[in-house]
Amino acid sequence: MDEVATKIVDILKKHMKEPRDDISLDTALTDLKIESLDLAMIVFDIEDTFGIEIPYNANEDVGDFKTVGSVVDKVKGLIAAGPAAAKA
Amino acid sequence: MAHVSGGRRVVVTGMGVVTPIGTTVDDFWAGLQAGKSGVSPLGGFPLDDLKILIAAQIKEFDQKARLRHFQRDKIILHADRYSWFAAAAADEAVKMSGLPIPFDNAYRSACIIGSGAGGLTTYETAYRDLFINNKRATHPLTLLRIIGSSASAHVGIEFGVKGPTFATCSACSTATHAIGIAKQYIENNLVDVAIAGASESVINYGTMKAWQALHVLSPEGCFPFSKRRNGTVLSEGAGILVLEEYEHAKRRGAKILAELVGYGMTSDAKDMVNPDIEGPREAMRLALQDAKLPPMKIDYLNAHGTATTINDKNETNAIKDLFGKHAYNLAVSSTKSMHGHPLGAGGGIEAVACIKAMNEQWVPPTTGLDEPDPECDLDYVPNKGRSQKVGYTMSNSFAFGGLNAVLVFGPAP
Repeated sequence: MDEVATKIVDILKKHMKEPRDDISLDTALTDLKIESLDLAMIVFDIEDTFGIEIPYNANEDVGDFKTVGSVVDKVKGLIAAGPAAAKA
Repeated sequence: MAHVSGGRRVVVTGMGVVTPIGTTVDDFWAGLQAGKSGVSPLGGFPLDDLKILIAAQIKEFDQKARLRHFQRDKIILHADRYSWFAAAAADEAVKMSGLPIPFDNAYRSACIIGSGAGGLTTYETAYRDLFINNKRATHPLTLLRIIGSSASAHVGIEFGVKGPTFATCSACSTATHAIGIAKQYIENNLVDVAIAGASESVINYGTMKAWQALHVLSPEGCFPFSKRRNGTVLSEGAGILVLEEYEHAKRRGAKILAELVGYGMTSDAKDMVNPDIEGPREAMRLALQDAKLPPMKIDYLNAHGTATTINDKNETNAIKDLFGKHAYNLAVSSTKSMHGHPLGAGGGIEAVACIKAMNEQWVPPTTGLDEPDPECDLDYVPNKGRSQKVGYTMSNSFAFGGLNAVLVFGPAP
């Protein structure tokens, strides 16, 4: 895992009641028992860490967040797009 | 005499406190017995230009140790400090009551935990981040931390309360109103069990500035009824009771700590800061009427006693107005002289002081009372508590806005 992925996994672990060491890019977020409030805190932490804004609404299905890898891809995309893209 | 109506009676089967002089009932009581002062130099945040530099802050509270065992409420440790205090006090009270956790008659239970101002420190931190530190967003839990009903919701979740659950808000009468409403719910057969009281934790820069601007804080200490009193001292904490219908408590063999026999409430409808004699007197009278007790049956009165010039004189006159000659036989003390003024939580903490006074047959003192104000001429139990007969007790809460609430406790039936 690269630096972005490692940081994201660390953030996930921080918000898990029982942190696991076997999290890979393929791990589904549903397997991590992350509830809606945890997700809001995870998104906040990721945004803070990478200086990005993740468009996400707790009322909608979060398609981009199925697996750890999909979160990493989304974050990398937002980092590449730069701060201006966050406003979209 | 008292309680002959055959109606549903309300007893206390559990109590919990978090205060600057003790963060459990036992430690709090030991603090009162020792005449301990919870007042200390203000700290924990930048003091900048503050002029009032003392407060009764709780310095020995380990939220992890107190709350990490919570099973049903998974985010209590992410909550505002005021919810921590409420949760810790409720946990102590529920455990003392011996009720099963979660409650087994969930819809016949209430959780009424008020707060004068809710998560005010969360507000301050969030706004500092937004306006000063140019943060992009507030923490996702900011809203949940702030709302004044979050303490009642957290506690209700943990103990499985599915009946009436909400917060009261009446400044310094908040806890007393919460306990009074819970009493009425039980009497009126809405519920059999209630967790009731209040919690407060608002000591921060903005709060100190706001109180300072009102010029009612003492720069030196909290000296109720004393000639040298020059204002109150802000405090924090929680005081929570488990109330139960008497037969319900008896059936399950609960240890009954006291009976909650009377509740009275009035509003001065007159002035935001200057209290009236009539409003407080009528609240006390209504509480006695609810208890079906004559004034002379009260042995100990835990005064609102904030140590502001006007409250202590006014409260003294209201007591004299209602109690007549018995006012001079009555032990009246302000435990705020020790635990400071915990605002909305005051009535909850002071209810526990009243119940313990009956259980231990010992009345807590008013400390710092070397020279009484000539206009305050009752027996305020100066400086040293004392053993005496304590049958019935009264607890006064008189809030800004003229919002008055009074409780009367009696011995276990």
